[in-house]
Amino acid sequence: MNDDSKIEIADRLSRRRALMMPLMAVVFLSGQAIYAIGRVEAGSIIDQVKVTAWVAWALILLALLATGGGFLNSRAVRRLMDDESTRANRGRAYSVGFWLAMIVTIVIYGLTAFDTIAPRESLHIIVTIAVAGALVTFGYLERRDHRGG
Amino acid sequence: MVERLGNRIREERNTYGLTQVALAEQIGVSRKTINTVENGVFIPSTPLALKIARAFGRTVEEIFYLVDEE
Repeated sequence: MNDDSKIEIADRLSRRRALMMPLMAVVFLSGQAIYAIGRVEAGSIIDQVKVTAWVAWALILLALLATGGGFLNSRAVRRLMDDESTRANRGRAYSVGFWLAMIVTIVIYGLTAFDTIAPRESLHIIVTIAVAGALVTFGYLERRDHRGG
Repeated sequence: MVERLGNRIREERNTYGLTQVALAEQIGVSRKTINTVENGVFIPSTPLALKIARAFGRTVEEIFYLVDEE
């Protein structure tokens, strides 16, 4: 007999995930300071490393949001970690990410009436804020759902 | 008038001496989902509502009901 049932394992991992998602969003946002300071020549080795790192980081965070993570666990535990209420919370997180992307895009577009904003910087800002917003939303909803139980 | 979905899950669990974990194991969902349905935070899908009712040997209407709020 297992000391911890699959339900309990999934519950514990789900709580941990609810804490980690917003934390990863904060780290992701904070890490953008590297791109804001110390301008480097576009196309230089340092620039390529920075861009590649950001792309990989953003893709990994999106993959974690989309899948819920937990790949080292059994399929049964992962299914419990990704059940009906979690999928609903993920849907709401996607919605928040979408609206943040729209609002930021519109703001940046409006700002171009007053100043030039490079396309690369625009995309960087839009995706960073949208991804971070979705992660924070998902973490918040999951933590809310664990309360009272 | 805003409608809310009420339920008798906690009462039924107490009647049968079931914890949220035990009920979740019977149905095949997470404890978190049982918790959110029970607290009215999450409205279950039809299959989930049917599974919850079946776990208590009840009909869906005996477990879930509409709460009219003004």
